[in-house]
Amino acid sequence: MIKFDNVSKRYIDGEEALANINFELSKGELAFITGHSGAGKSTLLKLILAMERASSGQLIVNGMNLNRLGRRRIPFHRRQIGAVFQDHQLLFDRSVFDNVALPLQIAGYHAHEAGRRVRAALDKVGLLCKERLNPAHLSGGEQQRVGIARAVVNRPSIILADEPTGNLDPELSAEVMGVFEQFKSVGVSLLVASHDASLIASLNYRTLTLDHGRLVEDRAAGYAGSENAGR
Amino acid sequence: MPAASARKPPRRQGSAAAALRKWLDGHRMTALTSVRRLLATPVSSLLTVFVIAVSLLLPSLLLALSASLDSLLDGVQQETQISLYLDDSVTDFEAQEVSNDLLTEPDITTVRLISKAQALEEFAASSGLGEVLAALDTNPLPATILVTPVSTEPGRMTALAARLADLPAVTSAQVDSQWLRRLEAFSRLVSVAGGVLSLVVLLGLFVIVGNTIKLAIENRRQEIQVIKLVGGTDAYIARPFLYSGVYFGGAGGALAALMQAIVFTIFNSPLRELFSLYEGELTLLQFGGIDMAALVVAGIVIGWFAALFASLRSILAMQP
Ligand SMILES: Nc1ncnc2c1ncn2[C@@H]1O[C@H](COP(=O)(O)OP(=O)(O)OP(=O)(O)O)[C@@H](O)[C@H]1O
Ligand SMILES: [Mg+2]
Repeated sequence: MIKFDNVSKRYIDGEEALANINFELSKGELAFITGHSGAGKSTLLKLILAMERASSGQLIVNGMNLNRLGRRRIPFHRRQIGAVFQDHQLLFDRSVFDNVALPLQIAGYHAHEAGRRVRAALDKVGLLCKERLNPAHLSGGEQQRVGIARAVVNRPSIILADEPTGNLDPELSAEVMGVFEQFKSVGVSLLVASHDASLIASLNYRTLTLDHGRLVEDRAAGYAGSENAGR
Repeated sequence: MPAASARKPPRRQGSAAAALRKWLDGHRMTALTSVRRLLATPVSSLLTVFVIAVSLLLPSLLLALSASLDSLLDGVQQETQISLYLDDSVTDFEAQEVSNDLLTEPDITTVRLISKAQALEEFAASSGLGEVLAALDTNPLPATILVTPVSTEPGRMTALAARLADLPAVTSAQVDSQWLRRLEAFSRLVSVAGGVLSLVVLLGLFVIVGNTIKLAIENRRQEIQVIKLVGGTDAYIARPFLYSGVYFGGAGGALAALMQAIVFTIFNSPLRELFSLYEGELTLLQFGGIDMAALVVAGIVIGWFAALFASLRSILAMQP
């Protein structure tokens, strides 16, 4: 589904954010990306979304080589990806409902069908009662969950989440991860960037660790369990 | 894959009619949103509309004036005359004789004598200076004979006028087509000026509308960024701004049409008086429904193109 083939990313001002990244994420797989602040987690997700371009190497998403993705194709590429942004990227000139409806509106869904899906998505993140509010009046954790609802509302085949549980208490974090697991079970591929070590440890999925732009560890799912068993 | 097939439903009902309805629905929503946004800042929106209207009004006035002059010239062309001003010493009886003689000339079709008294009467009526003139001891106006020649060809007319000017009773002969020539030249000048001004205004409107749209886009940078991130195409992003351009242009055109109708109504009655001195069947300044519609359409087209240009420039300059 997603394949990094020797991908490097150097920002214009010289910072090498990612160096020679190699890994593959298959359909229906969930993986965490972890690493210190500035390790390159967000950059990696931005490459997949075509928000940034790789400086070298091949990045293939859903069979499409992003190096050959023209500007006009980028929106359609993004429509198959649901993304949760570290900085939420919500619009404060409209309600929670309209924020979540945005991807459906863009894809041209009928208002009735869109409404049904938006409510289903808001229900999943426990915000159905706040659909009429302006996201500016919500708490940080609630805003984050609005972003999650928006990411899943279009039933994407890939979900990218950048610190989706950063502002959530352990209980809500578990709930949000539960939503992600539901999508995983129907074949959606998910990449979740997080430095919440306890959350990662508790769920025991594949974990990619970045350090100064290098992929230093690719720990397979179930590894933590066996490690614990070994001690 | 379940996720992928789940993405298809909007297309599944998929007849062409359904697709068209979906497309129209999207446009209607965008159109309404754009109206709401413009109404949210009524003062600046009205100002923009007003500036567009005034810009459109100037060339439109000139072009309409030139068109009116042209149709007016068409109407009087056949009635080109030579005015013979008679000497003050010529009596009414002698004047009548001269005009009778002229009627026998083969080069001349009609002759009309305006006596000194008649001339005074007509002038008093048209100028409104009756009392002033009545206070004068003598009548300053000469008797005039209006001659319509067989040929209105300029060379022949000038020759005829020269010959008639030599008659003893005549002090001077004036070919009336001279003012027509001048009027024609003036009309041409007005039409050229209108054309040049149209180009200048076209450029100006591009800058005005373009800048307004550019600012609107700057103000919505954050929203545009988010729309891009969730898969909005450049066309989708540009659409509300194109509607704004159409609204601005259309409203500006309509306001310009209204102003022009008012200006023409105000100017028509003094012009009617001015031209009635020349006794033609005159078509005065005309501004009908078609001209009004043309102004509105011009506004819409300019607004749309300017908005398209400005929004594509701004949106393409942003990160994809
Ligand atoms: N637009 C940019 N221009 C230049 N350098 C950048 C840009 N974005 C990120 N960087 C740099 O690239 C490196 C990786 O940044 P990135 O945002 O991917 O880190 P991260 O792992 O997401 O960190 P955090 O956990 O704090 O979110 C950092 O050193 C950062 O300064
Ligand atoms: Mg980050």
